[in-house]
Amino acid sequence: VIGSVRAVAEASGGCHLFSGCGFPAPGLQDFDFKPIFSIGSFHFTKPMLIGILCGLSVIAFFAVAFARPKLVPGKTQSLAEMGILAIRDQILRPALGRRGDGYLPFLVSMFFYIFLMNLMELIPFFQFPAMSRIGFVWPLVFMVWGLYLFLGFKNQGGFGYFKNMVPHGVPWWILPLLFPIEFLKFFVIQPFTLGVRLFGNMFAGHLLLSIFMVATWYLMSFSIGLLWAAGSAFMVLFVFILELLVDLLQAFIFTTLTATYLASSLDPGH
Amino acid sequence: MTSKDAVNNGKTAEADSRAEGLGIGWSVLSYLIAGMVAYGAIGWGIGKAVHVSVLFPIGMLVGIGISVGYVIHRYGRQGSVERNDR
Repeated sequence: VIGSVRAVAEASGGCHLFSGCGFPAPGLQDFDFKPIFSIGSFHFTKPMLIGILCGLSVIAFFAVAFARPKLVPGKTQSLAEMGILAIRDQILRPALGRRGDGYLPFLVSMFFYIFLMNLMELIPFFQFPAMSRIGFVWPLVFMVWGLYLFLGFKNQGGFGYFKNMVPHGVPWWILPLLFPIEFLKFFVIQPFTLGVRLFGNMFAGHLLLSIFMVATWYLMSFSIGLLWAAGSAFMVLFVFILELLVDLLQAFIFTTLTATYLASSLDPGH
Repeated sequence: MTSKDAVNNGKTAEADSRAEGLGIGWSVLSYLIAGMVAYGAIGWGIGKAVHVSVLFPIGMLVGIGISVGYVIHRYGRQGSVERNDR
């Protein structure tokens, strides 16, 4: 029986169990892409294409939705309005209150860009979350970092911003002990965790999804292996739904934390 | 207040506490890492200067101790997190 299965597996041309080849485990190599085209030493790759397409899609969606805004909104407009109101009521207002409404466009575009970029992990043909390349995360983080430092210095003054980092009512001799911690938190750790969280989640999600997808193919054979393949296929479905949640959640967390960082810059001692 | 208003207020309070909880949770993590890194770096620098390499891990431990104490002082007690007025 094993012999005939082996023959079938070999005839299929792929790498299967019983065909003598090991499990082609997905790894870091799955995050590197051959350039689509190159101009000199600049290589245009699939993640860049995804990044540009997502950016353009978000712009196009909101441009179409509000091109001719009506009092009684059509389908696209009401969808866009729902999204904006959700960001305002669930993310912006809880952290910043009404005075933060000026930052709504920033947070809305950031949320939808990250969400769409993450969703690309699950959409056939693209099937890659560009945020799992950490280079796509840092520009967003630098924007947030620059903005909250700028607002902090602007609202509290150069000296005041540092003074307000440590809470009031702490004995004076503790302040020098706390200052290195607060300084490092605001300037290094906070942006670092903001970026690495998004990157790590997308990286792990893509890896998990590809492992079960490859395993489904690898275990597929006309034997007991079919059962294992079915198990793996079920896991693909499970991880798919999980990732749908993670994609939304990571966009939400990134935007919410951005809002709380902005709030702490606008609001001294918070 | 109508029942719809009450539901809306409940939703707003829920969103408020969610945002606050997320902010505090990640702040606590940031403090713990920052304490370890900051005092680890200070310990490493002093250790390098006086050629006592054990000061690096000691610095890290001291840093963790300080940040744990700080986190407890700042967030640990019930009602210690003051809410801002909106």
